[in-house]
Amino acid sequence: MRLHINHFCLTLASIVPSTLAVYSDEAYSVDYHHELLGLPLPHTTFFHRPRKEEKASLLYTLSDLGVLGAVNPGLGKIVWRQFLAGYEGASESGFLRPIEGENILVSAIGSRVDAWDALNGRTAWGTAFKGTVRDLEVMENAAGSTDATDVLALFQEDGKADLRRLKGTNGDVVWEFKDGSSDIPLQVSTNVQSVFVVSLHGTVGSYNLKVTTLDPVTGKRTNEYTLNTKADVHAPEDVLLVGANSAASIIAWTDKTLKTLKVNVLGKSGDIQSLALKEADGAITNVSLHAPHLVQSQPHFLVHSHSAVANRADVFHIDLTSGSIKKAYDLPKLPGQGSISVSSVDANVYFTRLTQDEAIVVSSASHGILGRWPLKLKEYRGSFVHGATEVVQRTADTYAIRSAVVTTDQDWVLVRNGVEAWVRTEGLSGAVAAAWAELPESESLIQNLEVEAESNPVSSYIHRVNRHVNDLQSLPDYLQRLPQRFLSSILPPAIIGPKAGVLVRDSFGFNKLVIVATQRGRIYGLDAGNDGTVVWSTRAFSQPAGKLWDVTGMWVENLKGTTTIRGGEGEYIIVNTTSGEKIETVPPGSWPVVTGTALVDSPSGKWLLPIGANGDPGEIPQEWAPKDTIVVQCDDGEVRGLKFEVTGAKSAPIVTWRFNPPEGQKIVDVISRPTNYDPVASIGRVLGDRTVLYKYLNTNIALVTATSAHDSTATFYLIDTISGGVLHSATHAGVDTTQPIASVITENWFIYSLWADISSDTNNSGDSKGYQLVISEMYESNIPNDRGPQGAEANSSSLEPSDIPNADPALPHVISESFLIPEAISHMSVTQTRQGISIRQVLCTLASSGAIVGIPKSILDPRRPVGRDPTTAEMEEGLFRYTPVIDFDPKIILTHKREVIGIKDVIAAPAVLESTSLVFAYGVDIFGTRVAPSAAFDILGKGFNKLSLVATVLALWVGVVVLAPMVRRKQINGRWMSA
Amino acid sequence: MASPPPPPPRWVVELNSPPVARTKSTIPDPPGYTGASSGNKKQIASSKGEVRKAPTTEEMDTLKLKKAWEVALAPVKQLPMTAIMMYMSGNSLQIFSIMMVVMAFKNPFMGLMATNQAFEKFESEGTRGNLLAVKGVYVAMQLLALALGVWKVNGMGLLPTTRSDWLAWEVARDPMETAIPAF
Repeated sequence: MRLHINHFCLTLASIVPSTLAVYSDEAYSVDYHHELLGLPLPHTTFFHRPRKEEKASLLYTLSDLGVLGAVNPGLGKIVWRQFLAGYEGASESGFLRPIEGENILVSAIGSRVDAWDALNGRTAWGTAFKGTVRDLEVMENAAGSTDATDVLALFQEDGKADLRRLKGTNGDVVWEFKDGSSDIPLQVSTNVQSVFVVSLHGTVGSYNLKVTTLDPVTGKRTNEYTLNTKADVHAPEDVLLVGANSAASIIAWTDKTLKTLKVNVLGKSGDIQSLALKEADGAITNVSLHAPHLVQSQPHFLVHSHSAVANRADVFHIDLTSGSIKKAYDLPKLPGQGSISVSSVDANVYFTRLTQDEAIVVSSASHGILGRWPLKLKEYRGSFVHGATEVVQRTADTYAIRSAVVTTDQDWVLVRNGVEAWVRTEGLSGAVAAAWAELPESESLIQNLEVEAESNPVSSYIHRVNRHVNDLQSLPDYLQRLPQRFLSSILPPAIIGPKAGVLVRDSFGFNKLVIVATQRGRIYGLDAGNDGTVVWSTRAFSQPAGKLWDVTGMWVENLKGTTTIRGGEGEYIIVNTTSGEKIETVPPGSWPVVTGTALVDSPSGKWLLPIGANGDPGEIPQEWAPKDTIVVQCDDGEVRGLKFEVTGAKSAPIVTWRFNPPEGQKIVDVISRPTNYDPVASIGRVLGDRTVLYKYLNTNIALVTATSAHDSTATFYLIDTISGGVLHSATHAGVDTTQPIASVITENWFIYSLWADISSDTNNSGDSKGYQLVISEMYESNIPNDRGPQGAEANSSSLEPSDIPNADPALPHVISESFLIPEAISHMSVTQTRQGISIRQVLCTLASSGAIVGIPKSILDPRRPVGRDPTTAEMEEGLFRYTPVIDFDPKIILTHKREVIGIKDVIAAPAVLESTSLVFAYGVDIFGTRVAPSAAFDILGKGFNKLSLVATVLALWVGVVVLAPMVRRKQINGRWMSA
Repeated sequence: MASPPPPPPRWVVELNSPPVARTKSTIPDPPGYTGASSGNKKQIASSKGEVRKAPTTEEMDTLKLKKAWEVALAPVKQLPMTAIMMYMSGNSLQIFSIMMVVMAFKNPFMGLMATNQAFEKFESEGTRGNLLAVKGVYVAMQLLALALGVWKVNGMGLLPTTRSDWLAWEVARDPMETAIPAF
């Protein structure tokens, strides 16, 4: 056996077994997780008692991101969550209804209707139909009925309405009503006698409302009438409310000018009642209706109207016998925005109004204020948008309320009797872009160092001495902090208490900021060193409802301490990285459309070059033009290389190469090596006989994934991004192109995962069916100690690979091996360490199990011997026998017991310690952790008891002090006695 | 009346005049016991010397040269033994093999440094000429022992003779063009 002094092999051989674990003492301490739901929507958020006999209720919501969750209203902790948008085709917002008095919630999103156990979130039943769900309503049981309550689900299938009554026990279809006309189904409402289907009838832009009455038992049409809206309804959103109190369901809309409200009590054809809307300090901008949903509730409803500066509300009563609507009273006009929510207890209906100053609760019957509480929030969180309230009558005339309100800062606040109980930063959910940011060092130090570097030695020496003398001023402060620092390093953190909220760099480099931009146009700064707490948040651009912010690029300039974020409509914002303060804002629409960005180096410095539509960056001033090749992707998938050529004062991009896959294939993904940080520790790989296989380290490569749905193939092209030439390609047959295909490329290897079947046309026994992970490593030559055709040349060029004109470029020697994995990988990335000496971990996001696994690169090694045991030399190289299946062992799951949902991207950053890489995952949830792929070899673990070390030293010292005189005395005595 | 001072304590007396070391024994040696006392040897030697005739200078020189050859060839006699031990100890890094390697290098070096001292006692007018060749052989033998050490170190993989040992000083090729991805 030969000895290896190469660190690479040492790391591989000695550390591999110990790397594969998240230690139990590190779990929950090095990682942090923001368990989020998304922003609650007004019509799918409510309090509900899961158990009829118990008073305790839970807060349920189906958020704008399609997450169904139950929140403990006392603590604000999530009881259970279901990620419904994870289902196919669930792009629009869903519906959620509780079944009153039962432990069941029914949700509908996309093409699915599901019933959930309200207490623990387990599926009661679930069915998928064709078409898209438009509304969901709970049937009203006849009084005294003990059957499970049935639900009505309104679907739009091929543009036509399709209403189904589903059995409450198992979701079976009881009856189905198909409306033959091509009217747009809008909503469904029900009372004990009949079921109403409301649809938009007519042409686009001037709809009339069609109400179809059905028999609830048979689902047969009994009546149908049309309401003439006189072109007030243009879109489904214009209809304010359908349904409400089941005793007297109404349909309401406003005229164009928001002057009058028009209401029809469902079932009464041709009877449109107009209710005047009063102005509140200016024209009304927004009207919303609040009405109780219970059958036993009184038939009252509230109209809440907002103007730009104030809001007011009117309460109306419906006379059940005549069907007439009359105004009962109004809630006075108050400045600012406010939220009104309705809650019903038995027959009583309460309206709770929250404004910036107070919370009041009134009964729907009379205008007397039942309870009034001044509002005490810990900090200003924006004005209230909407909320859900639970009202409890304590005694005859004392009430208690708790309201879960969404604010304009996109926090979800629970206000209990006017006092803030908890806050959930739900605005953080739905992150679309994130970047790591270094904490800035004190600016004066940088400036001082610059001054000293520039001046002559003598003056810089004097400057330095002066600086150190000035530094003495902070000495007492430093000495004061010293005991604290000492204690904090030896005592467990639980005793010390949480860290103060100051942003300082630490010597290990764990304290970093993460800048997160969400799809709702907000930016957050998270402190990764302090459990990912929100340091600052700001609204970049207000997004119109239903429109998502398309962040095309984010660039953190650590030296300046600024972050630039570019959006898809030409807007950009520059914020201070540590405080979130806006430095520069350009609103959407002022610049052309941006599809992507590239961080380029130009004569005027680095900047974020916007790439316009179809991969065209357009003309730019000459001094801003980069000299490097820009690689862009066009709208049709074509990959292009661009170079800027000066024409006068401007520089115009010129296409240098194009890459198109063969006919029938479609480019689905293009990735490149990490651009910000990708260090390579060793340029070769040492083999067992101490020869070297040289890695193919070309920085200008991209991996293009092209699929063909027709042939069921996926082809991976490795292209040179300077010349556009194909360096390597691999085709997989029998690939399900609808399954996620994830890939990652770094150093000299690339990995991709796909779902492949046994192909019928080949008799290749190596084929297998299932999710596969394929690793390929590129080397300069297949012969050890050979640096390939380029030999020992110090430079490499893709355009002129050698002195011989028109020579072919040096192609890499690629070794591949594939593995079977248990489930689909939706996203892949790799860990980054400071020097790249530690082995890498491939961070794979598993969407279906809500986990992130870190597979060590040593397992994914294409040189592992197949079908035989490794030789001694191979063993020394760290290779072990190939096993076709990689099991996602619970030990390699970085998220351990946590369930992270909707992860879009995982980003990694190096720490100061070589062993450690910081990992941050975002999407619906936010998750961050630290990983040590080669074990934490340069830092003491938590198991190292510093306290006992110090205690031992002290005990020894005490022992010496005590024993030394005793021993000396004994020795002298010994001399005396022995003689 | 001044009484005479008390006799000094025993330790003072012993300090001033330490007691004489006790003679080994007053008992005569048993019959047949030759004893290890040097006095006897000298007596024997002197008694023998009286019998033998003193050698001549030529004889002494021949004798010295003979002795010198023995000294010169001494290192090579250990070599087979050392080689076997090195072979047996294996090439892994253990305390035993490390010590062997250290000794394999230390001994020849020390020997080479002390070449002149080793032959100093054989130096005389008559042997000087021949001694030069002897020294040469001695040095060669030490180098042989050194070569054994080098062989061992090479076997252990400590000599930077392969490509991998110089890998850290090799650098990646510097790309002449840069491409910036924008996707």
